[in-house]
Amino acid sequence: MAFMTNPLILKLEKHDKLSEAEKRALENAIARIRVVEADEDLVREGDRPGESSLLLDGYAARYKIVSNGRRQISAIHVAGDFIDLHSFLLKTMDHGVLALTNCRIANVPHATLEKITEEFPHLTRLLWLSTLIDGAIHREWLTTMGRLSATAHMAHLICELYLRLKVIGRAEGDTIQLPITQAELGDTLGLSTVHVNRVLQELRKEGLIRFQGDALTILDWERLKTVGEFTPTYLSLQNEDR
Amino acid sequence: MHEITLQPMSVLADGGSHEGQLILADGQLVAVFSWVTPEETVGGLERAGGWFLEAGFGPCSGLHSTTPPVLETLDDAVTWVRGRLDNGLIPS
Repeated sequence: MAFMTNPLILKLEKHDKLSEAEKRALENAIARIRVVEADEDLVREGDRPGESSLLLDGYAARYKIVSNGRRQISAIHVAGDFIDLHSFLLKTMDHGVLALTNCRIANVPHATLEKITEEFPHLTRLLWLSTLIDGAIHREWLTTMGRLSATAHMAHLICELYLRLKVIGRAEGDTIQLPITQAELGDTLGLSTVHVNRVLQELRKEGLIRFQGDALTILDWERLKTVGEFTPTYLSLQNEDR
Repeated sequence: MHEITLQPMSVLADGGSHEGQLILADGQLVAVFSWVTPEETVGGLERAGGWFLEAGFGPCSGLHSTTPPVLETLDDAVTWVRGRLDNGLIPS
């Protein structure tokens, strides 16, 4: 299936070189493309999917529901993320994945992934790397959730999303599109909507960010990084042999 | 049944001064609620303005409870506090 540069390829190329054969294998792995509307589940907890979902456009969230319908979002995914590559080996989903915005999804059958692991050892390592980076992001989130102030935590999240979008060419200068509601940010950061609003006001008042509709502009990257204690090491963005 | 009393108190929350209420159970401070504007609640899933738990102590503290949604009336706030006092470790 032909389409413009697959954002997964863009993403993987930040970490290491891909051969033409590897790129072709990734492009050919896509069995179909589907559109999922905002607030719909891409995968549900308890599902046993036969294919994995690669996000081509939009934002998605991993989540779990606790009592009273309260929700914790444990990861936010952007274009190029292989959202549930996990289901290839975990089989049964222990959490759901939700479309935060309208999403364009490429489905890759598990049988195709199995073939890739047999025929492309280097590409397999890069897919392994991408789940390791997902794990590194979880560690970082756990740390920021537990030990940073709410303001610092928010600043950290903004820094991370900005860099991840920049890597796949989805930042325009200092601006990213962040069509995520404050309630969803609250579920991500473990904060009430009231606190999310106050923290964003604080970052705005300090001249660090600006919101215009869904467009978030970073006005002072260095200070935002300082406030959020953000160091991007965990995103493994350097290009080297893997 | 605990004796609940309210005491008005201005609260310097983020973003400036808020109208607030101290909630005492049998003479001891258990919660501080402040009135938040529709702008602060972002309309969202929560209601347009209401009483927000700024701080809780004992059964109302973050050690034993999670922040409730913005509550419409002070009576709702008192009901939430009573629920916490009665339920102990069971989330409410």
